[in-house]
Amino acid sequence: MKYLIYLISLLFIGFSCFAEGGAKDFLSGKLQKLKWKDLEVVYLEDDRLPVYSMVVYFADGALSETKAKGISQAAFEFLSLGTNRFSQKDIADNLEFFGASYSSNVTHEYSTYTVSGLVKDINPTIKKICHLFADATYPIKELKKEKVRVVNALQNLPNNPGGLASRIFREISLGGTPFAYPVEGKMKDIKGWTQPTLRGHLAYFNEKVKKRVYITGPKSILGIKSIINDECGWSGKGKFVREVTYKKKEKAKGPKITLVTVPTANQAQVRIGKFLNRDEIKQSELMALAADYLGGGFTSRLMRTLRVESGLTYGVGAFAGGQKEYGRAGIMTSTDVKTVSELLKKTKATLDKGAAGEIKEVDLKRSQGSMAGSYPFGFESSSSYLTQLMYLDHVGMDYSELVLFPERIRSFKAQEVAKKIKSLYEWETLDIVIVGPKSLFPELKKVGKTEVKTYKNYL
Amino acid sequence: MKMFKFCLLLNVLLLSQGVMAFGSKSSDAQKASSSAKESKSSDEEMNLEVKKFTLKNGLRLLVHENHKLPIFSYYTFFDVGGRHEGAGTTGATHFLEHMMFKGAKKYGPGMFDTTIEGNGGKTNAYTNFDNTVYYESLPTKSGDLNMVERLIDMEADRMNSLALIPAAFEKERGVIMEERKMRYENSPRGQLYLEFMRAIFENTPYGGSVIGDVKDLESLSRDQVMDYFKKFYTPDNAIIVIAGDVDADAVYKEVKEKFGPLSPSSEKMKKYREEKNTASLYKHQGRYKRHIKLNGTAKTPMFMLGFPGDALGTKEGFVRDILASILGQGQSSYLNQRYVMGKRPLMSSISAANYTLKYNGVFWISGELLRGVNLKKVEKMLMKDISKVCDKAIDERSLQKTKNQYLVGYISEVEKNAGIAHFLGMRENMFGDYSYYKKELDIYNSITTDEVKKSCKTLFNMDKYILVSIWDRHAKGKK
Repeated sequence: MKYLIYLISLLFIGFSCFAEGGAKDFLSGKLQKLKWKDLEVVYLEDDRLPVYSMVVYFADGALSETKAKGISQAAFEFLSLGTNRFSQKDIADNLEFFGASYSSNVTHEYSTYTVSGLVKDINPTIKKICHLFADATYPIKELKKEKVRVVNALQNLPNNPGGLASRIFREISLGGTPFAYPVEGKMKDIKGWTQPTLRGHLAYFNEKVKKRVYITGPKSILGIKSIINDECGWSGKGKFVREVTYKKKEKAKGPKITLVTVPTANQAQVRIGKFLNRDEIKQSELMALAADYLGGGFTSRLMRTLRVESGLTYGVGAFAGGQKEYGRAGIMTSTDVKTVSELLKKTKATLDKGAAGEIKEVDLKRSQGSMAGSYPFGFESSSSYLTQLMYLDHVGMDYSELVLFPERIRSFKAQEVAKKIKSLYEWETLDIVIVGPKSLFPELKKVGKTEVKTYKNYL
Repeated sequence: MKMFKFCLLLNVLLLSQGVMAFGSKSSDAQKASSSAKESKSSDEEMNLEVKKFTLKNGLRLLVHENHKLPIFSYYTFFDVGGRHEGAGTTGATHFLEHMMFKGAKKYGPGMFDTTIEGNGGKTNAYTNFDNTVYYESLPTKSGDLNMVERLIDMEADRMNSLALIPAAFEKERGVIMEERKMRYENSPRGQLYLEFMRAIFENTPYGGSVIGDVKDLESLSRDQVMDYFKKFYTPDNAIIVIAGDVDADAVYKEVKEKFGPLSPSSEKMKKYREEKNTASLYKHQGRYKRHIKLNGTAKTPMFMLGFPGDALGTKEGFVRDILASILGQGQSSYLNQRYVMGKRPLMSSISAANYTLKYNGVFWISGELLRGVNLKKVEKMLMKDISKVCDKAIDERSLQKTKNQYLVGYISEVEKNAGIAHFLGMRENMFGDYSYYKKELDIYNSITTDEVKKSCKTLFNMDKYILVSIWDRHAKGKK
């Protein structure tokens, strides 16, 4: 077989930073870029275990939807409901017989379909997956049942207060941008998921959208080339890549507090954060460091303040990151309903201190050491490594970024981190979402202007 | 270095490539059967290379070298869990687990996690009914610092001289209360699980709650937790497992130096622990054929239907693992196809599990009803179904499918150093043999459809079950 191979040498230039113990040997020369009928393929050789993992990247996501929201995710998730030749039962039984795992993930900007299993069974498994992509019919009877299950799951979302809070926070904090609407759609959208619309949307992804395959395992797995080209029908013909234009979201004067009421709870879920415009997500390493300093691991400032010193919460985490066109900064935690305002007060004080530059060198070093030192763990699992490469491709960055990461993290000064904390977490610019009982309203009013909503508005 | 020999019973567990791509069920079943027969001649096996050391004070050390990346994982297994607690002290083991991160003599408050995280590592722990397990993953070196040596020193410090600082103890009580709310009080699924375990293991050491009852958590004293520490956190009750970029002999030398001086348990304490291991204490004493209703926030009924099961390591336990997979694991499983994916779905989800603990076990079927479906009707249907399910669901193909899935599961577990350390430590702790996985694979492979059917019939025909459900419309249900 003839593969057009681009060997990536750049990636490994900087691996000497953890070259002890054979890490360099393990990684160098293991990565190849191939083209299968102009379909881009990134292959990471790994023969340690008799398993493979394949991620198919589609350069469009939920933003492709015009009328029926949530249809991209439905089109991928419902692939296994049936084809012209096989029933849902046959398909599930067949793939599970091989111990294969298969799942999809749709974001606003892109989508992925992941398959993994034993090398021994890669051919029949990928054949079956290709058959689904080529021939999924979304049988009406199966579709009807699936829709009932989706409605049921949405109605039962309060059973998972953390999940409910994150869904609502996302919609509120991204409000006014193209990214606010949940990729999975809402209950009102489900009626639009019909056999023709699903088939049409799948055809769009199959034929029009640019794809890239990321695959890892022993060399023998490259034998699926013909299956991917001929049976999935994927080549370099699909060229569409989602580009988004949107009006820059201005900083609101706040904070804006939304209390989303749930029936009974003795614990409130707390989400704090905001949307980041395209021009605010450029310094990804610095953003990640600022978030880690505030809420990464057990030793972060927020964890020390809210958990260790105050016993207010079981856990708190902060994040800040971007996709290609936008990003988010956020803090996630929970506390007893009686201590919500105390938790908010202490959170604000921690953010204010960070923004004002009250950052101890020892704490910054800890955070930098944590992020830079944990760098080799990103390569321990080949599938996680591939995910990192896929992200870099998606945002249009060079793979050498991975190599530069530890050095860049260690180079930041306290002042830079403080400035970033201020831009990401300035209290007055944040959205605060509290999911808890209605009785919290008087207390929250004292913290800031509070709007009360029911969770049903977000289903 | 070769990570490990991995031939993995391929003939045993797998059908040849392509057989299944678009085949019919009957021909597949025949193939599966012939493949299983072929397997008996296979001499290939999964083999993790491990060096085992035992210190004079009884501490066991397992080391698996893997030099692919300059990182390692370190696990410590203590043979203590919720089953060692009594009335009034539920949650003590888990409380102690939290306090182990709060400072010891040499490495005071904040030093343990700061050293680990500040050098690129991660640390955490978990407690269940049988074990308490601590784990760390770190780079082998951080600058000039040898992290393997540093971690061994820190672990020895906290095993030897935990501080249990009173102020930190009180703060942690609040943290655990919040954890309890998150996992159980505000989660219908968590509430259901707690009540189910209480009922099925009633009057046994497994009938408590690992997180602890609220009143016990409120009253647990520092002295009580220190008592647990002294009783159970001794080198003869612990196993250390290290996997990664380390030298086994050098690790042994370091462990011997740091942990060697620690005293083993007294004879009195050993006897006390042995008494806690008396099998008769764990014998099922549940009150069966009943339905416990809980009033919770679940908008549609969620349920767990439990049957008394068997302990870990028993043949019956292995057979029922397979039974649970055939009946209710995966979209193609019998119960999923019947209740979730069938012509007239009644549930949004259903699954079966065989939970084998060290001294006893439970087999359960759990699910969540679709809106508008009558719980009583489903209960009747399910009870009727299980009397027939054994002959309907179990065949050569479903058995072979399960064996294939187990193989994938085993491989997934050993992909990373942390997985390998956990994998080995669990077996050393539960069976006294880190290589017990070889026997497990042999046992799973030897199991026949007749054995699974027989076990299935025994389980469902003994007429011993407890149903627990939670729903916001169980107005008179237990809160």
